[in-house]
Amino acid sequence: MDPAARLGSAQIDVVAQLAVSTVLLGGIYALIAIGLTLIFGIMRVVNFAHGEFLMLGMYLAFFAFTLKSIDPWVMLPVALVIFFAVGLLVYVLVMKGVIHASHNVQIFTTVGLSTALQNIALVLWSGDYQLFRPWHASVVLRLGATAFNLSQVVAFAVAVLMTAALFAFMKFAHTGRVMRATAQDRDAATLMGIDTDRVYRLTFAIGIACVGTAGVLVSPLYAAYPQAGLQFVTLAYVVVVLGGLGDMVGALAGSLIVAGVEVGGSYVFGTAWKEVLYFILFIAVLVFRPAGLFGQRGAESLGV
Amino acid sequence: MSRRLLTLLVVSLIVSAVTAVSFGQSGEYKIGVLEPLTGPLAGEGKRHLEGYEAVRDMINERGGVMGKKLVFTVADVPDPTAAATEATRLVTREGVKIVTGTYSSRLCGAASEAAVRHNVIYWETSCVDPRFNKRGLKNVYRTEIDATGFGWYNVEFIAKHLAPRLGKKPNELKIAFLSEDSSYGQGVTESARQRAKQEFGMQEVGSVEYYKFDTTNDFTSVIVKLKQAQPDILHHIAYTNDAILFYRQAKEQNLQVKAVVHAGATGYGAADFGKAHGNDANGVFALLEPGPGFRVEALKPEGQKIEKEFRDAIQKKTGSYPLGAHQLAGGGLWLLKTVLDRAKTDDPDKVREAVMSLDLPVGSMINGWGVKFSETGQNANERVQHYMLQWQNGQLVTVWPEEFTTNRAKWIPLPAWDQRK
Repeated sequence: MDPAARLGSAQIDVVAQLAVSTVLLGGIYALIAIGLTLIFGIMRVVNFAHGEFLMLGMYLAFFAFTLKSIDPWVMLPVALVIFFAVGLLVYVLVMKGVIHASHNVQIFTTVGLSTALQNIALVLWSGDYQLFRPWHASVVLRLGATAFNLSQVVAFAVAVLMTAALFAFMKFAHTGRVMRATAQDRDAATLMGIDTDRVYRLTFAIGIACVGTAGVLVSPLYAAYPQAGLQFVTLAYVVVVLGGLGDMVGALAGSLIVAGVEVGGSYVFGTAWKEVLYFILFIAVLVFRPAGLFGQRGAESLGV
Repeated sequence: MSRRLLTLLVVSLIVSAVTAVSFGQSGEYKIGVLEPLTGPLAGEGKRHLEGYEAVRDMINERGGVMGKKLVFTVADVPDPTAAATEATRLVTREGVKIVTGTYSSRLCGAASEAAVRHNVIYWETSCVDPRFNKRGLKNVYRTEIDATGFGWYNVEFIAKHLAPRLGKKPNELKIAFLSEDSSYGQGVTESARQRAKQEFGMQEVGSVEYYKFDTTNDFTSVIVKLKQAQPDILHHIAYTNDAILFYRQAKEQNLQVKAVVHAGATGYGAADFGKAHGNDANGVFALLEPGPGFRVEALKPEGQKIEKEFRDAIQKKTGSYPLGAHQLAGGGLWLLKTVLDRAKTDDPDKVREAVMSLDLPVGSMINGWGVKFSETGQNANERVQHYMLQWQNGQLVTVWPEEFTTNRAKWIPLPAWDQRK
């Protein structure tokens, strides 16, 4: 092979690996963002404690694996139930009291919740970085010159499934329609006989169930520690704004875009530029398409 | 409120404050300890504090400092803002004359700045930010070497040990630099780059990549670039979660280099890295304080005694061989005791005289350190002996300099990933 052609194939390999990593990283961001976009979109609450539920999911998987040798994949349905219950509980104990309050109060509340959860984790489980390796985390799949591991592929598949399921639920199920109606106009929904408090409770529980499950899925990939949620949550906000509030498919697309900017941008400009790049994107979207890339026009002002 | 009542109130407040302070000192001598006990550095901060506590007990068994029992008032400093406010609080409210800490280069600058503003002594035992001792602050001391010292030792090891074992001259080695972007990573990396190039003519390949350690979720772009650059040596300065993530992805994407060299008690030097990667971690180097295999016999007699006692104390307290954070805190506090024994007071000028008069050879203290402070309050690089440790089957063991250890460095060059056993 002549050198020029070899260079060509090397470049293709690079692009292929970057693309594969983008898609898989995007899947992880989407897992985190769909719960956030749901809560953000329907309740209009900025949940700053979102990342902490991810962290709790990671610890749940970690302890299930190290103490009881339960594989995180087996833990998925369990986590779904546990975090749904946790979501209900947190709603009743914390969020219910501030749901009709101003945004400032809600922000203080969720930031407080975030700090509290981080410190509870710190007290209970120390600040150590905990990573465990179930069998699938060590299975490396190779496709051409690209490599990725099985845990990541499954995380991506689950992200797509969850997105699709939530999308269908919101679009076709009666409860989904009720949730959308509440998002569009809380007062009108109440007048139509919708119990908005019940809708918010359900929304919050589903959102937390999503992110808790996400924590279980990413646990073989990223070390669990009390601040693990912070590593992802600012990104999740960028994703939600890109995709449009409450838009599941938008969240998936937004995740892929953010991951693409991160992986590709780091390759072209250097890793140090990563955050500059996606926050430029974030600001640009806020300026030019405030409803999100895929959001409906005017959606940004709904209920706010 | 009448003026007389107000005066009375103020006077009584002052009286109670004064009694509180003097009560605190009866038989006890209190120093302020700043540690990141929450936040991303909490794990290491906790170990750092354990190191302090072990040596505090050793000191008290020997009669304490200045004839009084040494006690701590500990403050949690997860970030630079907290470091500054808590340092101020310890001085103004707790009345301490000596503040020590802080484990991290992110914290020591702010903490020391606040402490010396109140004319107390700031005694840093572990941060490595090179700017720390270049601010002309009079009562600021650091017992650990700075990041330039880390870079100095790393390149020393690469040139004098790795190069011959790879069958190359130093100037034939290709080296790539990757680092987290705090003053710690940048300090080590830039000093290593400079020495590697100017003194040994090593070939730097690829671009130097700095990344933010707490928000980097994917290293593909870095790994792809490293594969293109094909370095012999990867010089990577990392915090812990980033080292764990990078190494997982490096294995998956089959990044093959001949050696990975790190410096410091975080990242590859942290216990969590070994726990996360098991035998995949085999072969990685981290510049640190001495680990298993360290020949205590190579130290001076007084150094041997205190080193053994320190190890036993940590073993008893934590159930493990002292880790980097233990050793930095322990070594640093023992040095403070040595200074106070000599000064017999906490008066900043007398303490400074005592610090400057100390001249102990390598092998005299915990960790095999010696002592010789410069005018800027920095213990000399060549006295603060550092050691290259290597991950070998789940343990970081001392492998260099060879006169200090019974272990030998293995896996040079690093074999394929599935053969690092």
